[in-house]
Amino acid sequence: MNAPAALPMPELKRYTGVMDWLTTVDHKKIGLMYFWFVVIMGLIGGAFAGLIRIQLATPGAVLEALNAAQIEGSAAPFSLFSENRHLYNQIVTMHASVMIFFTIIPGFIAFSNYVVPLMIGARDMAFPKMNAFGFWLLIPSAILMMTSFFVKGGAAASGWTAYPPLSLVGHGTDPGQDMWVMGVHLAGVSSILAAINFIVTITNMRAPGMTWKKLPLFAWATFFTSIIQLLATPVLAAAVTMVLMDRNFGTTFTIAAQGGDPVLYQHIFWVYSHPAVYIMILPGFGAISHIFAAFSGKKVFGYLGMVIALGMITVVGFMVWAHHMFTVGMPTILQAYFMYASLVIGVPTGIKVFSWLATMWGGNLRFTTPMKFACGFISTFTIGGFGGLILAMVPTDITFQDSYFVVGHFHMVLVGGSTMLLFAMAYYWWPKMTGRVLNEKVGSFVFWTMLAGVFICFMSMHLVGYNGMARRVPVYYADFQFLNLLTTFGYALTFISALTFFFQLIFSYFQAPTAGNDPWQINDVQESFEWATSSPPPVYNFEVVPPIPVADQIGKQH
Amino acid sequence: MTRLFVFIWFMALISVFTLSGATSLVAAEDVIAPSPEVMASVRVTSKPPASVGDTVDDLVAVFNPDLFALDADHKPVTPITNMFSQPASDIAREVADNTWLNFLIFLPFLVLPEVLLLYVIWKFKARNDGRKSATFMGNHTLEIIWTAIPCLALVVVSVPVWHVLWKMELPPANQKDAMSIEVRGKSFAWDYKYQDHQISIGQDVMGVQEPLVLQKGKTTILNITSNDVNHAWWVPAFGVKKDAIIGRYTYTWFTPDTEGLFKGQCAELCGQGHGVMIISSVVVNAERFARYLAMQRQRNDTLKIWNQLAPTIMTLDQVALDQAVVAYLAKSRTNDRQLALRYWIASNYASCIRRRQVGLTPAEVAQRSVERRHLLDQAIDRALAVASK
Repeated sequence: MNAPAALPMPELKRYTGVMDWLTTVDHKKIGLMYFWFVVIMGLIGGAFAGLIRIQLATPGAVLEALNAAQIEGSAAPFSLFSENRHLYNQIVTMHASVMIFFTIIPGFIAFSNYVVPLMIGARDMAFPKMNAFGFWLLIPSAILMMTSFFVKGGAAASGWTAYPPLSLVGHGTDPGQDMWVMGVHLAGVSSILAAINFIVTITNMRAPGMTWKKLPLFAWATFFTSIIQLLATPVLAAAVTMVLMDRNFGTTFTIAAQGGDPVLYQHIFWVYSHPAVYIMILPGFGAISHIFAAFSGKKVFGYLGMVIALGMITVVGFMVWAHHMFTVGMPTILQAYFMYASLVIGVPTGIKVFSWLATMWGGNLRFTTPMKFACGFISTFTIGGFGGLILAMVPTDITFQDSYFVVGHFHMVLVGGSTMLLFAMAYYWWPKMTGRVLNEKVGSFVFWTMLAGVFICFMSMHLVGYNGMARRVPVYYADFQFLNLLTTFGYALTFISALTFFFQLIFSYFQAPTAGNDPWQINDVQESFEWATSSPPPVYNFEVVPPIPVADQIGKQH
Repeated sequence: MTRLFVFIWFMALISVFTLSGATSLVAAEDVIAPSPEVMASVRVTSKPPASVGDTVDDLVAVFNPDLFALDADHKPVTPITNMFSQPASDIAREVADNTWLNFLIFLPFLVLPEVLLLYVIWKFKARNDGRKSATFMGNHTLEIIWTAIPCLALVVVSVPVWHVLWKMELPPANQKDAMSIEVRGKSFAWDYKYQDHQISIGQDVMGVQEPLVLQKGKTTILNITSNDVNHAWWVPAFGVKKDAIIGRYTYTWFTPDTEGLFKGQCAELCGQGHGVMIISSVVVNAERFARYLAMQRQRNDTLKIWNQLAPTIMTLDQVALDQAVVAYLAKSRTNDRQLALRYWIASNYASCIRRRQVGLTPAEVAQRSVERRHLLDQAIDRALAVASK
């Protein structure tokens, strides 16, 4: 046989500028795009929270509402939504949806995308095009949800939980709720694609010598999170599809009059949405171990225990969903089971908290901005977790369910926990991602305003819920005014913090990229590969895939 | 850094420990007397009147305090109590005790990490004194301890909570003596049906939500359902909450043990009116409760007379009124029946004052209330005089 003729090489067109970002399949660029998407959506969600807090700063008076049009001459209390409480419900729904589907979940995906391949010494994700597809799905998803404010009847107004029958009859055939469902579908697909990608990448593309036992904790956490996403997200899709079909196609999954059951939806919804709260914090658990180790000058304490704890949270997280529904009237034995199962999650979480403290023990602690956020995270997350233990007890939860105590609890965990973690990760990896070193003084300001805001805002929420204020109300008993005012004040601090953070990142692009391979000077303790390459890393990440052990290699690359 | 942490922690812990104090402080501010010129004939009462010979207005204030709970600006006064500072049922007391017990058992797991965090921050801060970082990477004993002790704590809390849970979720032990009430949520109000007495209440003539009147010491079973979307019946002081779901009955029970007015509200997002879907519950003693039921039985009969006396009727038709009163008393002339008539007219007027009439000021309605209730008394006297001849 003749030697085969040389195949014509395909023309490989390389774009530059905007087109480069639009067409990129580089995990680092996609990670950065995720990141900026998250920052912008976070500010939008925060602005929604601001509208809610302005409304709730004054009682708005249950009173004024009860007497509705009959009050003449008496000055109505200030109320943004006095004419349109439907709009208030839309804002409440969208605040939650934006924060959950477009801020916290993709926020962790952003860092996983950027850092995990670097950490494990891979040159990219396993499926780069699928990675890009996953990100670009979020854009139409966000557009669907955001533009639904402008359609007839407005956006979805049945809460982010979309419980039927409210999500069915809430505003008839208006398309807002349908757009919300489609948005959730797209975000869900994006989430599943990312999860598959991370699982395959972490399983198959680790550098030679990086065994599972040496895998950095952030990669472990991403791995477990991806498992949750992969298994749970389809269930969410099923739940919201029932709503979509009941609304549009004449099915009766949740319509009691025709043999359906509204409680069925609640169960299926929480089968996703409880594991989802671990999607919203596990990656941060992993990342913060690196931060504590790095700035304590020590190795992570109890690596194996940490991994086992992550795994336990993953598994048990699937078994506790109905603790969101203790008042729905389920059999007592089920309530008891879900109570004890929920309590059990406290154990691995406690292991992690104590292990972080032990990681710091005996070290030389450097309080850089990421380290401050990490310490602040422990202080706030412990309160959130404590509230979780109290809420797990059914008799207590029956009173606190759907009260502001619950709102305070999950904001303490999601803002005091997840958001603090996201800030810590952003400060920690920003020099690596862009080559720019961030100003420590501004970082310190961001941290202290955030911490004070979180404490004031969410402690007041706990107290007002303890006193008996229900959640998702646009007006409330005048007794609660002071604590609500305090909450609004705390919110203002938090939002100032977030805005400062935003502008700090923007302005950092005007600096020169001066961060070397290892801007934090942690090369004697780091346990992952990302500090073994330049900041920002080249397209191919590593000239030579660095072998294990990592610590010996630092400084020898480049 | 350390000092600020300490400061914030101090604030947080103080606020947690002063929970109950703050609650009662806030609630106390809101009991404001009504303006005397608007409601000369009525009075706000937080305590039920002591005497047995209650006036009609006393009774309205007892059975529907909401109607009179207006402040000087004619805005409703809405004090709310919770089960921790002012528990008002056996369930609430048990749950509150159990909550504090769990709180105390769990408290070390809140305080210990925070104290350790502060200590570590203070003790191991890098001071550039040449101290080398420790190099240990694990300690099996420690890890076993901080896994085992939380597990132990869980076992400890799980025992008392088990009893409370089964007590409150199973039917009450004295189920046969209990009073059953059907609670039906609808957007955005509540209907109640005393199932043992065939009495339904809900909204009064003005469409104002009526309180659920309960008997002190009588175990009450609530069978809860919904007409449309999900609601949840929640009065914090009773320590119970249950979802109202279309197509199924959920139930809960408690034994109210304190007389008074207890406020709550719908606790499941149900649409635009969710924030104003208020729940009131009034607990009275056995004697008053019997009187309340008796008056509820006469209620529908009084409607014809109310139609003659309503404040929107500009000129009173004396003859028609007399006829209606005679017809009403023809059925029975007992004191209870007369009292019921006076009660419902007074109650309806109070409701009209609270929920303003179109075209009338509250003062005008109050004026009419005084005049027409006086006319009613005269009409009753005439009817009785005729009947006794």
